[in-house]
Amino acid sequence: MIPGHVFVLTPIIFGVLLFLLNSTYAKQSVLAFQLGLVFASFYNFAKLRLLELPLSIECFGGWSRVIGIALKWDLVSAVFVILTTILFFFLFVFDYRSGHANRLFLMLFCTLQGLIIGIFLTHDFFNVFVLYEVSTIIVSILIMFQKDKQSIYDGMLYLLTNLTAMVFFLFGVAILYRMLGVLDFALAKDQMALLSSTRSLILPYAFFLTALSLKTAILPLFSWLPRAHATPSAPSTVSALLSGLFVKNSLYLFFRIRNVFDPFLGITEFFLFLGWLTAFFGALLALSQKDIKLILAYSTVSQLGLITMGLNMDHELAFWGAVYHILNHAVFKSTLFLSAGIITETYGTRDIEKIRGVGRRMPLVAAATILAILGITGAPFFSGSMSKYWIAYGAKDALTTLAFFVANFGTITCFIRYSAILFDPQIHPIPPSPLLPTMQHSTVLVMGFLSLFGGLFARELTIFFFGKQLPLDPLSYLQKGGIFLASLLGGFLVVRTIGQSKVLERIRTLDLSFNDVGMLMFLFFSLSFLYLTVKYAFL
Amino acid sequence: MRGRKKAQRSDFTVVDEVSFVIFFIGLYALVVKRNAIKSIIALVIMETAVILYFIAGGFREGMLPPIGDVLPEQMVDPLPQALMITAIVIGIASTAVALVMYIHLRYKYGTDEWKEVMKKRIEEDG
Repeated sequence: MIPGHVFVLTPIIFGVLLFLLNSTYAKQSVLAFQLGLVFASFYNFAKLRLLELPLSIECFGGWSRVIGIALKWDLVSAVFVILTTILFFFLFVFDYRSGHANRLFLMLFCTLQGLIIGIFLTHDFFNVFVLYEVSTIIVSILIMFQKDKQSIYDGMLYLLTNLTAMVFFLFGVAILYRMLGVLDFALAKDQMALLSSTRSLILPYAFFLTALSLKTAILPLFSWLPRAHATPSAPSTVSALLSGLFVKNSLYLFFRIRNVFDPFLGITEFFLFLGWLTAFFGALLALSQKDIKLILAYSTVSQLGLITMGLNMDHELAFWGAVYHILNHAVFKSTLFLSAGIITETYGTRDIEKIRGVGRRMPLVAAATILAILGITGAPFFSGSMSKYWIAYGAKDALTTLAFFVANFGTITCFIRYSAILFDPQIHPIPPSPLLPTMQHSTVLVMGFLSLFGGLFARELTIFFFGKQLPLDPLSYLQKGGIFLASLLGGFLVVRTIGQSKVLERIRTLDLSFNDVGMLMFLFFSLSFLYLTVKYAFL
Repeated sequence: MRGRKKAQRSDFTVVDEVSFVIFFIGLYALVVKRNAIKSIIALVIMETAVILYFIAGGFREGMLPPIGDVLPEQMVDPLPQALMITAIVIGIASTAVALVMYIHLRYKYGTDEWKEVMKKRIEEDG
């Protein structure tokens, strides 16, 4: 197997070299390098799969696992590394001819790739802190890359809220280290079993949960996300990367760290509820926006809520459904952001009311958008429908099932509204089609078709990637298709009736200042601490 | 002399509480201070509290610093110190980035009060 630190370090070294050498062939060499990484990640995955190793742990520098830096490969992390390399490859292809992709941009992008892979592979608490802290800095620079007025505020808000979250995380690490004397996930779990009272774990866990909830944009700690992901001047590849991939890092860590604590402190009901709230209010906020990039960003919040629900249903099928949805969401959300980038550039506006007739003006971009929309709303045969089907399968009672469908109804409704940009009610003469680089067109189209592919071959893909045979009952799948059609109809009616309602206007202008976010973090911390204390008061 | 030693020991057992207090002082400042530069200072205060807590965790009475010719049994746990050096370095880097952003924010918006900056940012959206 190729060692994990190669995956973490080579992109960073490569990026720095690109910056220093300033070669004329920079973009070609980036593409070649990315292709190499894709193959390398598939090679490692194949090794794991063929040797039937459950996991492979390597220690950096020959230290023991107790004090050294351990990187862990298992099927899930290997799949996420594949996702990272493929997505980065697409993004670099998309940016092949873009003017903003100078050597600084390429360096930041490559460095971020190394860090993201690092977070997927890391197996100890302190590493997570280091990798996250550095990636926060890089992401905030990427957000404000064009240094205009709006993105400065968005980038600053992103930087400070996320740094605060990481201070919370570090405090959790400190308390845990003092209690257990180890930082490795698996070793920490072993040590926890030896504790006389697991109630002492409540304090560090509350710190971790606060940090991770802010990172995963769980209600009420999500206000930084839309600003950061949809800042007007940021290149669309940055938005696609942040929304498609970077937030998945925190979801991944969320279930990794939850699995460490889970035998001792259970939080699944709490987060099932919070996940639903996030999914619901995310969709509501998405529905109230006018800026198409903001609609997509709020829909990311909503989808993160859905995935959090799936991860916390205490059901194996729902868990794998959620993991599969993470992959799917990465594909269709980055497609949507990239095509939205092309659309806003062509029309010169981001206002959903002013963009009409994309279907006639740019048929290929419109086709990619439609494919991605069908994916995200869970239309039958598309990737979203399969992962959502499995998540819904894990719902234990009628209430959870209903809650899930309400959340998905929200997604469908806001994408019906979004799809208005594709059509044109009045027949205008078609403005000349812009000459867009074929690279951009073909990238979004290929990615759009991936979400169809992910739906048609969902069962084969989950067996291939995770070795899990997930059941699919044709009858209940058909039933879900019926629910989809009913929600589609309902969504049309809702979009028709709300139109320009005052309530949506009020919701749209709601915003939280940095001080409010600090207050909410404190409240969230106290709430999760209280919840765990009350739940485990009688142990 | 005895009294002093006793005082010294109690000094170190209260470090935990002190670092918690400092952490929440920082958090308090984060919530109530409306000025962006004070928010950055508050963040640094919180970070310092965590570093103090981490370092103090490695301390045992009568142990020596892990530098030079010290037997492993005699030295304090060196791992927290190694980790905190890393955390301090990253902390400096992130504070530097935050300060650079602060300069830009101040320059572009003409104010550094969170509320006013937010108002102007929403106006930009239109």
